[in-house]
Amino acid sequence: MKVYIYCLTEGTDALPNSLRGIAGAAVRWIDTGCFSSVVSDFAGEAVLVNRENALAHAAVVQSVFKQTTPLPFRFGTLVTEPKLNSYLTARRETLQRKLEQVRGCVEMSVKIVWNRNWTDESLHKDVQEKPGTAFLHEKRRQLMGSEARAAEARRIAVWLEDKTGEMVREKRIDTNPTEKLLLAAAYLVERGAVEQYRVRLKEAREEKPELHFLVSGPWPPYSFANIDLEFKSQFGVS
Amino acid sequence: MSSPFDQIIVNEGGEQIDELELSLLETLDHVLNRGLVIAGEITISVADIDLIFLGLNVLLSSVETANEVLRHRETKL
Repeated sequence: MKVYIYCLTEGTDALPNSLRGIAGAAVRWIDTGCFSSVVSDFAGEAVLVNRENALAHAAVVQSVFKQTTPLPFRFGTLVTEPKLNSYLTARRETLQRKLEQVRGCVEMSVKIVWNRNWTDESLHKDVQEKPGTAFLHEKRRQLMGSEARAAEARRIAVWLEDKTGEMVREKRIDTNPTEKLLLAAAYLVERGAVEQYRVRLKEAREEKPELHFLVSGPWPPYSFANIDLEFKSQFGVS
Repeated sequence: MSSPFDQIIVNEGGEQIDELELSLLETLDHVLNRGLVIAGEITISVADIDLIFLGLNVLLSSVETANEVLRHRETKL
């Protein structure tokens, strides 16, 4: 039988007896020397992606996160205990460094939307131009707009780092991740500095009312947990 | 589930997007797309259309589009 794995920690503190994971299964620890893995038994072949299961995964990780900062696994990780042991043994040093990196920290998320027309309006369309020329001009306007958007996203990322950088241990910045999203950032912040981070971020938001911010946290450090090459999920986003 | 949000995004009409829905979307973004991966050991199956509708449409477009998605869902109900 495989186990469903939620997260990895350095210690084994008590979990609430009432805590249930995927498919209502009891959550338990597997102690593998340097690490403790939080798992539950799973009888099936694949984990159904639905709201209930996603929230169950999040709730188990969150329960551990209240006590310590774990390395959360991505949803859907099913593994046999021997394979888990082998993985943890083979990557022990790397995982220990990761746990060291996130120790005492939380993840804070910032997403920014800017409703602005990024097409370069300075390149006016000539009413006399032929269809082929007009097409090329339109393409050029779009390209220039796209470049302007990317440059602005980079400028905002630097500006945001300037505002909050001293409280941030690590960061993951994704500029222009989607058509409308200008920036998606994850910051690793020490638990004791979260309030200061929020104050600085609030001040920053007030400086740029034209930007729509979606800020959330504290989260377990999902964005800082992976040790392998970036993994593209089945949903095409990472 | 308690909300992790400090601020709720507001659309151009001043209407708040439902906090619980956004909280769910942010949770999905973290749980489904981030985290430690053991190569080849993620085994999932997809059957819940509602979740995929939310997850794909919102995560692939933007948080702003969440409002459009939620409106669409309301009109279908």
